[in-house]
Amino acid sequence: MADTVMECRNLWKIYEKITAVKDVSLEIKEGEIKLLFGPSGSGKSTLARCLALLTTPTKGDVFHRGECLTRPGVNLNKARARIGFVFQHIWLFHHLTALGNVELGLRRVLKLPKKEARERATKALREVKMEEWANHYPAQLSGGQQQRVGIARALAMDPYIIILDEPTSALDPELIGEVTDTLRALAKKGTTMFIISHEMQFAREVADEMIFFNQGMIVEEGPPERFFTKPSSDRAKRFMERLIKRTTKE
Amino acid sequence: MDFIIEFLPRIFDGFLVTIQVTFFGVIMGLALAIPLAIGDLYGGKIVSTIIKFYVEFFRGSALVAQLFIFYFSIPTLLNIRIDWFTVGLVAFTLNSAAYQKGYIKGAMESVYEDQMTAALSIGLSKVQAIIYVVLPQSLRIVIPAWSNEFCSLAKSTAALLTIGGKDLTAAGRTMASQTWRILESYTFIALIYFLWITTVMKALDILYNKVKIPGLEVSA
Amino acid sequence: MDPLSQLSFILWGVPTTLAISILSFLSGLALGIPLAFIRVYMGKPFQVMVDLYEKILRGVPEIVMMLLLYFGVGLALGLKPFDEAFFAVTFALGLRSGANQSQIFRGAIRGVGESQMIAARSLGLPTSQAIIHVMIPQTFIIATPGLGSEYALLIKDSAYAFILGVLETMKRTDILRMTTFDTVFPYFASAFIYILLTFPLATYLDMWGSRKRKELGL
Ligand SMILES: Nc1ncnc2c1ncn2[C@@H]1O[C@H](COP(=O)(O)OP(=O)(O)O)[C@@H](O)[C@H]1O
Ligand SMILES: [Mg+2]
Repeated sequence: MADTVMECRNLWKIYEKITAVKDVSLEIKEGEIKLLFGPSGSGKSTLARCLALLTTPTKGDVFHRGECLTRPGVNLNKARARIGFVFQHIWLFHHLTALGNVELGLRRVLKLPKKEARERATKALREVKMEEWANHYPAQLSGGQQQRVGIARALAMDPYIIILDEPTSALDPELIGEVTDTLRALAKKGTTMFIISHEMQFAREVADEMIFFNQGMIVEEGPPERFFTKPSSDRAKRFMERLIKRTTKE
Repeated sequence: MDFIIEFLPRIFDGFLVTIQVTFFGVIMGLALAIPLAIGDLYGGKIVSTIIKFYVEFFRGSALVAQLFIFYFSIPTLLNIRIDWFTVGLVAFTLNSAAYQKGYIKGAMESVYEDQMTAALSIGLSKVQAIIYVVLPQSLRIVIPAWSNEFCSLAKSTAALLTIGGKDLTAAGRTMASQTWRILESYTFIALIYFLWITTVMKALDILYNKVKIPGLEVSA
Repeated sequence: MDPLSQLSFILWGVPTTLAISILSFLSGLALGIPLAFIRVYMGKPFQVMVDLYEKILRGVPEIVMMLLLYFGVGLALGLKPFDEAFFAVTFALGLRSGANQSQIFRGAIRGVGESQMIAARSLGLPTSQAIIHVMIPQTFIIATPGLGSEYALLIKDSAYAFILGVLETMKRTDILRMTTFDTVFPYFASAFIYILLTFPLATYLDMWGSRKRKELGL
C-alpha cells in the first residue's frame, strides 16, 4: 500500500456569511490523481487553498506526509515550498520573465546558487515545452503558454504533490489542449496530483478517482467509469450530463 | 541682457539651492514613503492610524504653514535654532513622503492580492514576497506618479522664500528689485524653472520606458 | 490675546481663502473642460498647443507666476487689474488649475471611452451634442475625485497669496505672530484650519465619485 501524501480530516472553512467548506475529509496516496469537480461557488477553490495552506481552515486538520500542518508553530513557508500550486487565473509574476518566474523560488526559498537554479528552472521549462520562451514576459505569452509556465514554476520546486485549481478554465478553448497534454505527461510519470477540472475527457483518462463536490461537501466519490456510466447521486448525474453536453457541443 | 549676466552668479547659487532641496526631498521622501506604505498596509490598526494622521497633516495643510512650523514653532518648543536650509530639507522630505506614501500604497495594493498568494504558494515568506514580488512591480508602476510628485515639489520649493531662503525665486526677486527689470527678471526665472522641471520629467519618462515591462504599463 | 480671540482673528481670513480658491477653481474649470475636449477631439496643431500650455503652467511655480503677474504685469507694466494682488493671485492659480483640470478631464474622457461617443453619433447626434449630452455628464462623475483633490490643492496654494500681502488666512496668521510674539499657537491653529477646509470635502468627493462610478458601472 502506497503512503498517504496529503490528507484532511473534518475540514471547515467559514467566511463571515458563507460556509464554503463543510466537514470535508479526504486523502491522496503517493502517485494517485484525484479530480474534484462541481458547480461554481461550491467551495472547490477554498478547499484547494486550505489543502495547500494558503488559507487557514476554520476547523479541522490538514496533514502532509503524516505531519499535521494546521497546528500552531508550523513553518508554513517551508511546507508550501514543497506543495505545488497552479492557479485558475495563472498569476505569474508580471515583472519576471518565464525563466525568472520559475527561478524565484529556487533562488530565494531553496537558496540555490545561480547556476544550479538556472539549470533546474530550464529543465522545468523544458518539461512543459516552454524552454524557447524562457526570456519572454508573461504579457508576451498566450494564456496556454502562461499556464504551462505556471506549472513549471510549481514543478521546479520538486513538489511531492501538485494541486491545480481549474488550470484550464480561464483559457480560450483552443488553448486548453496544450495544458491538458502537459498534465497527461506528468500523470504518465506518476506525479501525485489533486486537480480541480471540468475537462471530462481528460478526467476520464488520467484520474484514479473523481470527487463530485457541491455546497461545500463531497457528494460522491469513485472511479471515473462509475461517474460516466451510472453516478449514484441525482445531482452528480445531472451535473455530468450538462458538462458532457457542453463539451460535445463545442 | 547685461543685467541678467550681472546677476547670473546669484541666480546660479539660488538654482543650486532649489535643485538640492528638490532632489533631497524627493529621494528622502521616497525612502520614508516605502516604510510608511508598508506600515499602513501591514502594520495593523494602531500603526496605520498614526500614519494617517501624519499624512493628513502634511497633505491637508498649507505648505507655508508647515514651513513656519518648522522654522518658528519647533525651534521655540525645543529651544533650538534651525536655519532655513535645514528646515527646507526636513519639511520637504516629510511633506513629499506623505504624498509618495499614497502613490506607493496604491501601487502595492494594485499588485497585492493575487501576486502575494502566488508568492506564498512557492514558499516565499510574506517579507520575501514584498521584497521580491510586490515592491519591484509597484516601484515600476509608480514612476509616472513620482514624476508628478517631483514636479509639484520642485515648484513648491519656491515657498522657501517665505522663511528667508536664498533659492532661485528669491534670487529672481532680488534681481527684480535691484534692476527694476521686473517683468524680465521673473520671466527669466520662470523660464529656468520650466526648463529644468520639464527636462527632469522627460528623463523620468525615459527611465520609465526603459524599466517598463510588457503588461505592467500605466497609461499616462 | 486669549487663544479664542487669536483663533477668530485667523478665522477672519477664511472667507478670503475660500474666495481665492473657489474663483480660481471655477476659472480652472472654464479653461480645463474645453482644453480637454480640444486635446482629445481636435487636430494635431491644437493638441500641441494644449500640451504646451499644460507643460508651461505645470512647470512654473505658482509663486513665480504670482510675482510675475503682480509685480511684472500689474505694477511694472501698469496693466489693470493685475495691480490688485487678489486678482493677480486668483488669475495665476486659475491658469494653473486650468492646466491641471484639463489633464483630469482628459483622463476622464478616455475613461468614458470611445464607444460612448460612437454610440451617441450612431443615433445621429452631432459631435457637439454628443459631447454635451453623453460625454460631459459621465466625464464629470469620473473626474469628481480628481476635482476634489484639485480644489483642496487650491485652498492650500491660496496661502501663497500672503506673499503679495493679501489678507487671507496665512497673512492673518503671520500678523498674529508678529503682534503676539507667539511662534507656536498661530501656526498650528492655521495648519489645523487648512486641514478642516480640505480634508472633509476631498474625502467626501472621493467617496461620492467612487460610489457613483460603481453604481453606473463606469
Ligand atoms: N476570501 C473570501 N471571503 C469571503 N467569501 C469567500 C472568499 N473566498 C470565497 N468565498 C466564498 O466562498 C464560496 C466558495 O467559493 P470558491 O471556493 O471560490 O468556489 P469555487 O471554486 O467552487 O467556485 C463562494 O460563495 C465565495 O463567494
Ligand atoms: Mg474556483
